[in-house]
Amino acid sequence: MNATLIFTAMLPEHILLAGIVLLVLLEVAAGKPRAALAIGILTAASACAAALILSLQSFGAAPFEGHLSVDPSALLAKALVLALAIPVLLISRDEFSDRQFHILVLCALYGICLMVSADSFLTLFLGLELLSLPVYVLVLLAFRRPQSAEAALKYLVLGGTASATLLMGAALLFGWGGTLETAAFARALGSSDGLALAGAALVVTAFFLKAAIVPFHAWAPDAYEGASVPVTAFMATIVKAGVLFAAARLFAEAPLVRPMADLVFILPLASIVWGNLAAMRQQSFRRMIAYSSIAHAGYLFYAFLGEGALRFQAVAFYLLAYGVMNVLAFASLPPDGDDKARDRLDNLKGLFHRKPYAAVTIAIAMLSLAGLPPFPGFIAKFLIFKNVIAAGFTLYAVLGLVGSYLGIYFYLRVVQFLFMSPEEATANRGTPGRFALGAGALCLAVGVVMSVIPGWVLGWL
Amino acid sequence: MSDATLLNLVLFLPVIGMGLLLRVPSSRGDVIRGLTFWVMVAQFALCVWLYARFDAADPGLQFATRLPWIADWGVYYLIGLDGYNVLLVLLTAFLGPLVVASAFTAITKDVKLFYSMVLLIQFTMVGTFLAQDLFLFYLFWEAMLIPMFLIIGIWGGERRIYATLKFVLYTAFGSILMLAALIYLVVSLQATSGITSFAFADLYKANLPLDVQVILLAAFGLSFAIKVPMVPLHTWLPDAHVEAPTAGSVILAGVLLKMGTYGFMKLGFPLFPQATQMLAPVIATLAVISIVYGACLALVQTDIKKIIAYSSISHLGYVMLGLTTFNLLGIQGAVMQMVSHGLVAGGLFLMVGMVYERCHTRDLAAYGGLARILPVYSVFFVILTLASIGLPTTSGFTGEFLVLLGAFAAGWPQFAQGDALPLTLAVVAVSGVVLGALYMLWLAQRLLFGATRAPHQPFADLNGRERAILAAIVVAVFALGLFPNEPMSKTEVAARHYQRLVTAVPAAPIALGNQQ
Repeated sequence: MNATLIFTAMLPEHILLAGIVLLVLLEVAAGKPRAALAIGILTAASACAAALILSLQSFGAAPFEGHLSVDPSALLAKALVLALAIPVLLISRDEFSDRQFHILVLCALYGICLMVSADSFLTLFLGLELLSLPVYVLVLLAFRRPQSAEAALKYLVLGGTASATLLMGAALLFGWGGTLETAAFARALGSSDGLALAGAALVVTAFFLKAAIVPFHAWAPDAYEGASVPVTAFMATIVKAGVLFAAARLFAEAPLVRPMADLVFILPLASIVWGNLAAMRQQSFRRMIAYSSIAHAGYLFYAFLGEGALRFQAVAFYLLAYGVMNVLAFASLPPDGDDKARDRLDNLKGLFHRKPYAAVTIAIAMLSLAGLPPFPGFIAKFLIFKNVIAAGFTLYAVLGLVGSYLGIYFYLRVVQFLFMSPEEATANRGTPGRFALGAGALCLAVGVVMSVIPGWVLGWL
Repeated sequence: MSDATLLNLVLFLPVIGMGLLLRVPSSRGDVIRGLTFWVMVAQFALCVWLYARFDAADPGLQFATRLPWIADWGVYYLIGLDGYNVLLVLLTAFLGPLVVASAFTAITKDVKLFYSMVLLIQFTMVGTFLAQDLFLFYLFWEAMLIPMFLIIGIWGGERRIYATLKFVLYTAFGSILMLAALIYLVVSLQATSGITSFAFADLYKANLPLDVQVILLAAFGLSFAIKVPMVPLHTWLPDAHVEAPTAGSVILAGVLLKMGTYGFMKLGFPLFPQATQMLAPVIATLAVISIVYGACLALVQTDIKKIIAYSSISHLGYVMLGLTTFNLLGIQGAVMQMVSHGLVAGGLFLMVGMVYERCHTRDLAAYGGLARILPVYSVFFVILTLASIGLPTTSGFTGEFLVLLGAFAAGWPQFAQGDALPLTLAVVAVSGVVLGALYMLWLAQRLLFGATRAPHQPFADLNGRERAILAAIVVAVFALGLFPNEPMSKTEVAARHYQRLVTAVPAAPIALGNQQ
């Protein structure tokens, strides 16, 4: 295999690796920790640029035949994930000034890059582990609180189950098709062979576990609440995006028929309903976002009910809309010395009178996540359900939409707290740092573009 | 500037106004009020100009703008005036400055946010009427919830959170089913005809099987019926009205409720004509139940605002009845009733707000004999009461009378053929007029006449600003009552268009000849 080709095809990965190595060396040399953020962001940004440029040139190559290949959509997926990482890194500035955090984040991003260009279950597994292990540590990083350890352990155990399930599924598919290539999964979807279906179902289950689909969601609320704000933002947006893009590559354009279609409908529907219901009574902002992300994972898997060629666009647009609005909410959350206080939903009461702009941006994020127009979340949801109905699954779409209705209440509850409740005496009065403001502005700008000229954005995806 | 550009300006002026408001410091309440008011006045002036230029004989879209928006989906930014929306846009723009002016002294908290939200809701309301593309329509339709949620929730009365959540959750439930139905409609249009379009004009050609039409009409209809509201989906309305600040009530009664009836007329019925034909008796029955039930509920209320709120349910029942007559009289009457109700109910809510601002109670028992202490107020109140009852020379008469005429005109032939239902409904609907007179006159009597009683006296009669607001409404009420031909000539093409679409036969000259 041509070395130049490997270099070009995996340029984003190489840039990430260079960033990781540089940070490790700095850690050893014990220089000023300041530079960590700059290196982290520069690495993510240049890797994103590399992926985007390659994607725009319709670059396609298979540096490791049968294990790893890149095509424009894989590169675009990488570019989107890496782009989302930039605001997440920006909001980490106020909590993590050390290099460990950035090393771990870059490692996880590397794992995602492998996952979205994997052609065999080996590469996929490698990427998944490379993504998961740093995230376990990231959850633990907020060790100021004992909860974090519990959360990390829960996440580790369930994450391990996911890995095991993936391997089991891959093994069954290997037994059926005699190959470890992921294409076997797409073929198994349409098969009526028991072994093939069992293997495919296990692989799907592994993705459900990682994406926190009911009934495999129990880890998410604990992990989200236990982790710190930037890590929660990272898990809610980037890890979810990585898993979903990998799933999109795996499903490819294979038509979804029964009984697999039912599996990909029932559990996501249960997630939408349960996520939205459970979010209603939460007192912790991050726990609420965890349940919201469970529901959103449900909508995202709905995208696979749509016609094959339209799936990637729907998933990508949804993840972008969902990602920027989630990060926007986290970036606007006023900081507080006490993390537990910052996380209390009650602390948002009357925020409009203290910090009108923060309140307005959080409200925009919530309304977008609720899927109300004119915010990008609406257009994303519209696209997914339009594809589902066009594919003939009308009843499924109606049930999903009714499920999404259940979510409107708890998002509005946040807006109600922000604007209509009297101020809490104990409420935090911290001012967000410049970096968090920058992250918020970035996300808001993307959100505005997505709702004003969605046609243009869709043209890119 | 071309007229099409002006129409875009009409739509986007409130947004421009919001942008300007952002630059004004929150402490400058006077500047904020003035700016919002003049933006609204400018919008109204533009609307009047466009109304004057509106060609009543042209059946097509006028001053239209069509720009690709989400090209892959066939979604266009398509707006324009036609006979369906021309009066409603004018009504919305007319009420805009009045709503703003009415809040000058009533709203003292978060003034900047309040006027921003009023401008935002004005934008979404005008947008809903102007949109000629289903995606755009839905966008505006649903986006309207957000400013209304805040207006009721922040500046409302004691139970405002409950009321506003109830309002939003009710409305959003209808919308979510409408969303599913509209996607299905567009997808099936694409499947059968190959056209990928959200434009109303294309969707009218969808020609779906009857069973599908019934389901889709139910989904669209649920959403619109909640907004109208029709019994039994009306329970959000009294809560929302009572808790909303005056400006919110006026927007709700004046414009928002009309979105439901407009939705039926522009979309619900013409998109699914066969289903509409089949279900027309059911819808008409619900409409008449709304008329009578709303009136009966209004009779027993002790809260002034609730009386007017329930009267809205009754009055909008006439609109629905008119739309289901499928003859020109009834349809034109329905349109006139929409406009008239917007003016009269809007005016009555303003008047309730004015007395509430002085006495801080809406309990009818606390008042009496206001005619002696508030003579000017009482004159206006009596005029609007009579307009609400539908006295000749007022706008209320034109609408209700035409609707009832239409209902009888449709009922007689069917009665002759052995179907007594339409005629029975028409007869029962007439009793709504009597009940309407009863509760409104009783309200006026208890409020204005008898022994003088008020929570704290003395208080001042209407000031110049309040007189000007009410005078504008009263002038409009009489104008519509005395010269209904002028506005009805502008909507006639649309009424015929609607009739043709729903009955699926070429519009025949109607039996009673002249529609007046």
